[in-house]
Amino acid sequence: MLMQLSIAGISQGAIYALIALSLTVIYRSTTIVSFGHGDFVMAGAFLAYILVIGLGFAFLPAGLLAIAAMFAIGIVFSRGLIRPIRGGPHIGLALMSISFGFALRGIARLVWGREVLPMPRVFDVDPIFVGSIIITGDAIFTIGIVAVLLAAFFILLHLTDIGKMVQAVYQSERGARLIGIDVSRFHDFSWGTGAALGAVGGVLIAPVSFLHPDLGASFLIKGFAAMTLGGFGSLGGSVIGGLLLGLAEQYAGAYLNTALIDITAYLLIILVLLIRPRGLFGRKVVIKV
Amino acid sequence: MHTPAESRTAPRWIFWLLPILALAIPLATNPYTQFIINAMLIYTLVTLGFSVVIGNLGQLAFANTAFFGIGAYASAMAGNALGLPWLLTVPLAGLAGAAGGFLASAAALRGIRLYYLAIVTLAFGELMRWFYTHAGALTGGTDGLALDRGDIFGLQLNSDTVQFYIFLLLTTLLVAGTVNLLRSRLGRAIVAVRENEIATASLGIATSRIIVTAFVWSGFVVGIAGAMFALHTGRVFPESFGLTQLIINFAMVLVGGLGSVIGAVLGAVALTALPEYVRAFPGMEEIFFGVIVMVVLLVMPKGLASLLRRVSPIFHETHHRD
Amino acid sequence: MTSLLTVDHLGVHFSGLKALDDVSFSLEAGQVRAVIGPNGAGKTTLFNAISGYVRPTHGSVRLNGAEIAHSSPHSISARGLRRTFQNGGLFPALTVLENVMTGLHMQTEGNFIQILFGLRQARQAERDAAAKARRLLKLMKMDQMADIPASELSGGQQRIVEIIRTVASEPPLLLLDEPAVGLSPIARAQMMEIIKRLSGENGVGILLIEHAVELVMAAADRILVMAAGMRIAEGTPAEIRNDKTVLEAYLGHA
Repeated sequence: MLMQLSIAGISQGAIYALIALSLTVIYRSTTIVSFGHGDFVMAGAFLAYILVIGLGFAFLPAGLLAIAAMFAIGIVFSRGLIRPIRGGPHIGLALMSISFGFALRGIARLVWGREVLPMPRVFDVDPIFVGSIIITGDAIFTIGIVAVLLAAFFILLHLTDIGKMVQAVYQSERGARLIGIDVSRFHDFSWGTGAALGAVGGVLIAPVSFLHPDLGASFLIKGFAAMTLGGFGSLGGSVIGGLLLGLAEQYAGAYLNTALIDITAYLLIILVLLIRPRGLFGRKVVIKV
Repeated sequence: MHTPAESRTAPRWIFWLLPILALAIPLATNPYTQFIINAMLIYTLVTLGFSVVIGNLGQLAFANTAFFGIGAYASAMAGNALGLPWLLTVPLAGLAGAAGGFLASAAALRGIRLYYLAIVTLAFGELMRWFYTHAGALTGGTDGLALDRGDIFGLQLNSDTVQFYIFLLLTTLLVAGTVNLLRSRLGRAIVAVRENEIATASLGIATSRIIVTAFVWSGFVVGIAGAMFALHTGRVFPESFGLTQLIINFAMVLVGGLGSVIGAVLGAVALTALPEYVRAFPGMEEIFFGVIVMVVLLVMPKGLASLLRRVSPIFHETHHRD
Repeated sequence: MTSLLTVDHLGVHFSGLKALDDVSFSLEAGQVRAVIGPNGAGKTTLFNAISGYVRPTHGSVRLNGAEIAHSSPHSISARGLRRTFQNGGLFPALTVLENVMTGLHMQTEGNFIQILFGLRQARQAERDAAAKARRLLKLMKMDQMADIPASELSGGQQRIVEIIRTVASEPPLLLLDEPAVGLSPIARAQMMEIIKRLSGENGVGILLIEHAVELVMAAADRILVMAAGMRIAEGTPAEIRNDKTVLEAYLGHA
């Protein structure tokens, strides 16, 4: 029972980790929190759905195309909507990403109305039995993809020049400009990468859950919960936060009450921010008062 | 050339002119337009309360929709469970909203600011919505809670005209109170906290008290708007206080002008009186409000109020510079 | 007799670093005491520790004999110790008049209810505060600027308005953090005039951080020299001018 729950928790948590990671990538490189991110996830899932169901693509090329499209949308968003108000107050930046997400959600609703769309399962492989524990093909695939992506980002950010660039821009944009980094383009690229990573999450959930225009909102909150738990801005923290959230949801649902699954994330956010605002691995929160 | 402040701000009687003229509105409306105008009064308060926190105090708190829902449910629950007449539920709704405001300010005082505050207040709002859905008979779950409107002093409360006069009175009083607050030393201190919290404290001002004041007043105003909303629609649902409501609130605040009282009225009036086709197809509303916010942020970040200020100095409010 | 301000073995140590170590001095009403020293000497930490923005780990600070070392900034300020900020502490969106009125916040009557209902007491208190603020601005020849946003002032004007705002409530003790930095020679002279007037005519005790040597020498009654968080010398301007340790400290850090 516990093991079975843990597997479910980790496979769900891997998605949360991915979304938290995509939020962290944007936050670390632009110091903006992408409040419309849930809708990037949703848009990724819907694009994959259109390509598979509407245009008859196979799942893999459909997924890759959807991710590429979201990368482009992220860049367009950054260049067209964020760049002009970049120097303005944070409220404006937060609102810009929220309202862009809303527009995406509205478009999805305009096209699909209030239907809930099922997508055929992609990995119709037999589940693996380990003793009495069942591991589905979906779970293996999800966990595998997320693990590969996480590893790639860790190498990218900790062992390459790109990582140094991210750090330089994060610490001082002016300084980064002085050493010849095109900060604006770097920001565009980060938004693209963040949107694409969010879309990976969307593509992964598309075959295993029902699609509806509002699915992004809950993933946004879960991404936030994972980030908050792990420590805002910490890459590893957001991943561990995501996995812990996935586990916490499963355990709370099984041992306490199933209705708690929906609000584990909210409770976690409130508890962490009240008790230990910097999360598990974050640096001490510096509030400029 | 700068004229002294006294001659730049409107004399006090001008403020009362608008509600007095508005008394005649029901003479010229049909039930549908009256219903819409009543909604404008409600949204004026919702927008005003929001604007005080995100505009004047400058805190990125997203709990406004939560205050609205708390007020609406407090009114409906007090009516249903305690059998209170609606009018008596209004102060209760205000207090419940104020309590919500106090909770949000407690987070801000814990050093949870900026994005953290946005996230924690967002979570708070969603948590409230979950509560409405799961609290069984108390809140009526997803079916919502119907309101027994009844009457006061023999006047049927389900009449849109009766509602209008009550709403006009409440809205006028609360707007007047907010104007008084913002023009006072407290209003200056609220803006001072936004501009430089450390320097504000150096002037002997307990900044935490100022932050609590702004949040609690915001929650009170929006909570009362919630009670008005419950009466207006006759039934409260969890879905009325979700994220769509939040983006509508944002749009109204921004279109009117952050932190401006005149702007709150303008934003609420302009965006409540939406052409019906915006709501004709599912999703249109979200696209419409989403695009409005984006466009306003790009081309008119100070909102309609800034245009008015350019027209005449009588629209000048304290603490607003262009 | 108790001094206006008594700083006694004050220290701010954190994780092995001594940002401020064992500093003692006192300040009387009407006296100007300058704190000088190279960058990183702990001058601003000293200010922050006295005014409540940094919690001291050692020693005590007494205002008219009462301990304030662990009070919050606003309560210290309410007790009569007010300060300015090195990078400027004005509220850019408020007008000059509103900025000065904010300095009168604690002296302005009217509770929440009176304000909300616009009762006569509250409105009268507002008018009185505005009148007093205008009077102060006029005294400093800044009344022409009263109704423009603080953000539109020049750097020198901003510093003067900040001082007007800080002294509006007539505090007995003033901490000025580099009031002359970035000012033109004329504005500097004006600033020195203001400081002398406040201490001489109004009997305000002033603690002053300043790099402009000529201002310090002309305005200060006594000078405290700091380096590496510690006091290295103390005396009258004439004594400090000839002090060997001071010269070494400056040359050593130059």
